[in-house]
Amino acid sequence: MRPTLKPIPARKSQYGIDPDLLTMRGSELPDMTSVQLTDLFPDLPQVIYPGPQGIATVRKATTEALADVDMSMIQVKDSVNILASHHGFTLLGGEAYAEMLRTIRDVVHQRTGATNIRLRAGVGLRFRETEEYIQRFGLDEHFGGKAEGIAPIDRGVPIETDIGTLYGIAQAYDARWIIHAHNSDVREVHFHRQVDRAVKPFGMSYARIETRSTYHQNLGPRAANFVARAIFDSPFVREKFAFTCFLVMAPHGVVRVDADNNLYAVNDRLTRDGCRYYGKIMTLLGQIDDCIAILDFPAPVPYNFSAGVIYANFCGANIDLFDLDNPLPPYTWYTEAYYGKDGKPLIDGIPPMNPAIKMCIHNYAWAGYPVVFFAEQVPTLVVGEEQAQLMRDDPQNTFYMDHAMVAPSLKKAMHFAQRATGSDNVLVFDGAAGGINVSPSLADLLTRKAPAVATRVEDELLPRWLQQRGLQVA
Amino acid sequence: MRIVNLLAEVNEQECNGCGTCVKVCPTLAIELRRREDNGRSKPLAFIDVTKCVGCWACEQRCPSHAMHMVRHPSPHRIAVSTDDVERTQIAALCRKARLHPEQVICYCTTTRAEEVAAAILKGLHTPEELSQYTGVRTGCKVECTQPILRLLEAAGLPLEPTLKHGWQLYGRTVTAWEVPEAVKAKYASRGFYFDEDITLLNQIVAASEE
Repeated sequence: MRPTLKPIPARKSQYGIDPDLLTMRGSELPDMTSVQLTDLFPDLPQVIYPGPQGIATVRKATTEALADVDMSMIQVKDSVNILASHHGFTLLGGEAYAEMLRTIRDVVHQRTGATNIRLRAGVGLRFRETEEYIQRFGLDEHFGGKAEGIAPIDRGVPIETDIGTLYGIAQAYDARWIIHAHNSDVREVHFHRQVDRAVKPFGMSYARIETRSTYHQNLGPRAANFVARAIFDSPFVREKFAFTCFLVMAPHGVVRVDADNNLYAVNDRLTRDGCRYYGKIMTLLGQIDDCIAILDFPAPVPYNFSAGVIYANFCGANIDLFDLDNPLPPYTWYTEAYYGKDGKPLIDGIPPMNPAIKMCIHNYAWAGYPVVFFAEQVPTLVVGEEQAQLMRDDPQNTFYMDHAMVAPSLKKAMHFAQRATGSDNVLVFDGAAGGINVSPSLADLLTRKAPAVATRVEDELLPRWLQQRGLQVA
Repeated sequence: MRIVNLLAEVNEQECNGCGTCVKVCPTLAIELRRREDNGRSKPLAFIDVTKCVGCWACEQRCPSHAMHMVRHPSPHRIAVSTDDVERTQIAALCRKARLHPEQVICYCTTTRAEEVAAAILKGLHTPEELSQYTGVRTGCKVECTQPILRLLEAAGLPLEPTLKHGWQLYGRTVTAWEVPEAVKAKYASRGFYFDEDITLLNQIVAASEE
């Protein structure tokens, strides 16, 4: 039996319990194994990171990608904001994204002579999260004290767009030039549906609360994705935009760095890659009929990673999230809004949260994102009183423990879950690089089903997904 | 509806009176007051504990890390009852804002449109009053902003910022029904499904009429 893969380490953070309280990881449970993603899908591209040369390959790839980017617009006395997002720091421990940011800064300085180069790192709903990453990865030192975390409740700036006034975070745009430094990991497919994924931060981590609420409440689950394009295409933003640089991801690691003065060219490339590589693993996970999910990663419940896929997407794996003819994913904020006081959907046709998840064991996950809905829909065991109290104290989750139970240990939680559900299939969301930590029965199921899934995606689903987005396969 | 189990507290030695907390507080619970310190007067944050609902906004944005969250001495629930407001009035206000009364508009506190509508009909006319008494926009402080403004606008109330120079709220934004036809036509092939989503949103509102 293949040994388990090393999980991403727990992190000291104001949003999580003290890592010293985490006494056992999901991969350490008895009789666990792993599967490699390249065994499931041999056509996955080669990764450049993780690898034997570590982050040096990321620096090399970033420098090479930037070689063809026009930077002549940046004058030596100009101010430059490198815009980053928290998400990149959750990938493979975060060092690859941090190194890409450092390299962008260094190359811009070398080629233009500019010295007033700042880092502005946006967040989701944990307003000091990027402050923690800036310290952890030494970015404040690398940027000469000019690295700041920015949050959606900070001072705003109005941006006139084709759909009226929207609002950005003023500090994101307080430079002559902006560089959009992001990553292509699909993450929130339930929200963006791989539509304008590369543009998304303009409507999210660089945006004010008014804009983010527009996305999640005003336009509808698919039309919402126009918000980012509207902001990016505004004269205000276009006049500042210098270029973009992306850490390009596949489910098993970093595959390249892509940089361009044309963000939409990058967007089209990443749309094809995202649909192909993540579409396959997500379609495969949708083949699971029953399982116990273990959350075991330094991020909130929905953002725990397994096989490059977040738990929120596994919660929606009972439908095809890439198929835009499906209006509502089983989890998205529009979906959550449409459950009435009796706990039932307000209209017919709203798909339930993935019924294959018979129980969720919340072994280690951060607070800082509203997840009461997850505990309402999936029987949930929280390991340890400290984690339960963390959720009770979280203003976004004061009702979470009304729907979840506390287990004294992971072993006891697993014993209970297996007896209650009758399932031997265990899937651990622990961010293990290159593969998935699973029980042997689930390893067998995934291995058996992967070839047919790969064929179906390539021959039937991928052309459809791309056609819905105005693209061809090649 | 919200459980208030924490309170913000100022460390006066660390506070430099910058006023960031005043600008981000969703219930306007904080003001700057001048205090004497070694013969000199300096502005310091002062928290009205009757308005503070322990949302963490000030703690999360204070550049001096002078704000701390402490256990509330009297944990309690805040909510506005819908029982003593005419159901038809609540439904009409929600419909005008294009919301279903039972639609959750604040995911963090699971506050529904009907509770915010009832609060408005009972005389709470600013976003900050709505936050203080229903708990809406005191979880993540982010995602429920627009439905609050849509309900206030549907009630005919002004949407001017309550605190001049504050960062609480800047304005209502576009809804699905207001996206220009030219925009929809231009981007029809890119996967935004504008009209299909309008159909979905209308279905939700129509379900309330049934």
